Amino acid sequence: MAQANLLTPPSTISPSTALALSQKAPPILSSTPISSLPWPLSLLFSRESPETWTIHENLFFAALRTGDDKSARQILTRLTTRFGDTNERIIALRGIYEEALAKNPGELEKVFQSYEKILKEDPTNFSIRKRRVAVLKSLGRTADAVTALTVLLENSPTDAEAWAELGDLYAQQGAWAQAVYCLEEVLLVTPNAWSAHAQIATLHYLTVPSTLTTLSHSLRHFGRAIELNDSYLRGFYGLKLVTKKIIPLLSSPESKRNHNTDDDDSPPLKLETVKKLEELATSKLAEIVRQYASGKKGWTGYDEAEVIAARELLDRDGKVER
Amino acid sequence: MNEERELAINPIVQTSVQHNTQVVSNIRNLTASLFGVAAGTLGLESYPGFIFYLVGTLIVSSLVFALRADGKPAEYFHRPLGDLWGGDVFSGLSSFVLTWTLFYGLVRA
Amino acid sequence: MAQPVVQTIHRDPALFWWILLPITVVMVLTGILRHYAMILLQSAPKKQALPQIRQQRSLVRGINLRANANVLSPISFQARKAYMVSAYQEGKFLADPEGRGKPRPNPMSDPAAMEGIMGMMKGNMAMMVPQTLIMGWINAFFSGFVIMKLPFPLTPQFKSMLQSGVGTRDLDVRWVSSLSWYFLTLFGLQPVYNFILGSNNSANQVTQQMGQMNPGAGMMGPEQDPDKLFLNEAENLEVMEHRWILEGVEDRLLAKFAI
Repeated sequence: MAQANLLTPPSTISPSTALALSQKAPPILSSTPISSLPWPLSLLFSRESPETWTIHENLFFAALRTGDDKSARQILTRLTTRFGDTNERIIALRGIYEEALAKNPGELEKVFQSYEKILKEDPTNFSIRKRRVAVLKSLGRTADAVTALTVLLENSPTDAEAWAELGDLYAQQGAWAQAVYCLEEVLLVTPNAWSAHAQIATLHYLTVPSTLTTLSHSLRHFGRAIELNDSYLRGFYGLKLVTKKIIPLLSSPESKRNHNTDDDDSPPLKLETVKKLEELATSKLAEIVRQYASGKKGWTGYDEAEVIAARELLDRDGKVER
Repeated sequence: MNEERELAINPIVQTSVQHNTQVVSNIRNLTASLFGVAAGTLGLESYPGFIFYLVGTLIVSSLVFALRADGKPAEYFHRPLGDLWGGDVFSGLSSFVLTWTLFYGLVRA
Repeated sequence: MAQPVVQTIHRDPALFWWILLPITVVMVLTGILRHYAMILLQSAPKKQALPQIRQQRSLVRGINLRANANVLSPISFQARKAYMVSAYQEGKFLADPEGRGKPRPNPMSDPAAMEGIMGMMKGNMAMMVPQTLIMGWINAFFSGFVIMKLPFPLTPQFKSMLQSGVGTRDLDVRWVSSLSWYFLTLFGLQPVYNFILGSNNSANQVTQQMGQMNPGAGMMGPEQDPDKLFLNEAENLEVMEHRWILEGVEDRLLAKFAI
């Protein structure tokens, strides 16, 4: 695995990486970036740079994740002395710290109350609004979390992060149409995010009742995700699953009649194309699994669990055919 | 319209483009200054000096083409012709003139 | 006129140490100073009230919808379009719905608008003041004699500017006074700043002036009426042509991977 660094940590941090990151705390904490010299000299001799604080922030998250609360506390104090008590970001970090330390729902409830107080003073603090949703989520109050998120999005409808979160919550409750709507909003903000395309495809795929329309939407979104990133494991995986579900639907005779009455205005899929796509996904998945196993350069960046899942899918497929 | 659709299908990531232009313009400015030093020291005057600059930038362009873009400029530039060979030729001119004048003034007369 | 004799002027080598070098150093230092001054002068974005944020972001949402509509399937696009257009026309997202249709207050009396103008003036000041100061400094100290010879010929029109204070009529235009070195550094130092300060610096006024020629079009300035902006956007949405990018993606994929 590539060496994780604190300045640009990977987007999803595995437990082992988080541990490796938080173990970098002692050297960073022992050297203070703020010079102790008096004012004009301190300007000249400080080693402070924007990167310093990014590193501090990421270290803070890693420390909290690995239970190194003492380091986290130290970093938080340091950040607070540098940026002040009222900085929006500092307030959010402090909230995260308190959330992480809360041991039972009662303490979490207290954190929630403090968020409410902050929001009463400054209703534009969107990071705290998001933290509030997170607390509601960990308290298990999903319906409240949804309400809070809709209020947030009503006021800030261009927040892709919040839309994705809301989509997640809806999907958990099985409200597929709403979840799809949320993910479509995410796509409107970030039209080229292949992960968002894959997510929306997954939602279409999971939609109950699943019809040819939802499945073909799902297939097309997976296709777009692959088009944007032609080594996207999740895209191929999903493509294979969807095509396998579509093929019987398309080949049965009544589906054709059904499709015409459907309110879908997109051109129907051709059975041939879908079959070819299935082959394509299979061969691509097999290639990824093979290259990953041989540890070839340029192919090792995949998540191990995902590769195992892909191999399992291929194996299952092989047995059925035989 | 067709080109627009093509762009939507295969989007161009703005930050990568910016990074590439940044790298190229850094190379250009640095080499242009060095060409200015060389031209000034050689004592080139008027047209030979500008021709020297043009030849130099063309060499740099082909070096960028061969070494940085691996001979496939279409992968690194949106419009290979304009971005690599054409437009950027004159971006280094001002720094070329600066160092050229300086060294000419120092070495000659 | 007969072929002009090549004019040679013997100059003191100290000219380099006492004129060229100081001007260059001063130019570089002012550039750096200006960069940091601009950072200092940048007023932090003012905190907006919640309705204002809502108004602005709702507008951005419409613009996003228009720009990225091709990711949506026709049905969901139509639904969104219908919703956004009617909401825009009703003025649903306006910060103060009562203020609709009233004429905007004079921007000079609006403190928020004044702040924007002040910010622009500050930027202009940071450009103009050093420029005039340095030109004055050079004119006061280093005018009246030539310091160097340009390696390329210029037309005689430049004579009055580049040889200001040198009262010789027949002198070749290529001999120039210190002011021209100032201009050369003014235009040629950008790469130096790039190396010292990183690419996003605001050290050079020349590039800045170019940047100010077209201040971000479509930005929602405080002087614009939000209601008009919304109605405008609704109109844009109404007439836009929608194409679904996912249409035919399966064939494109097969073509792409067939190779």
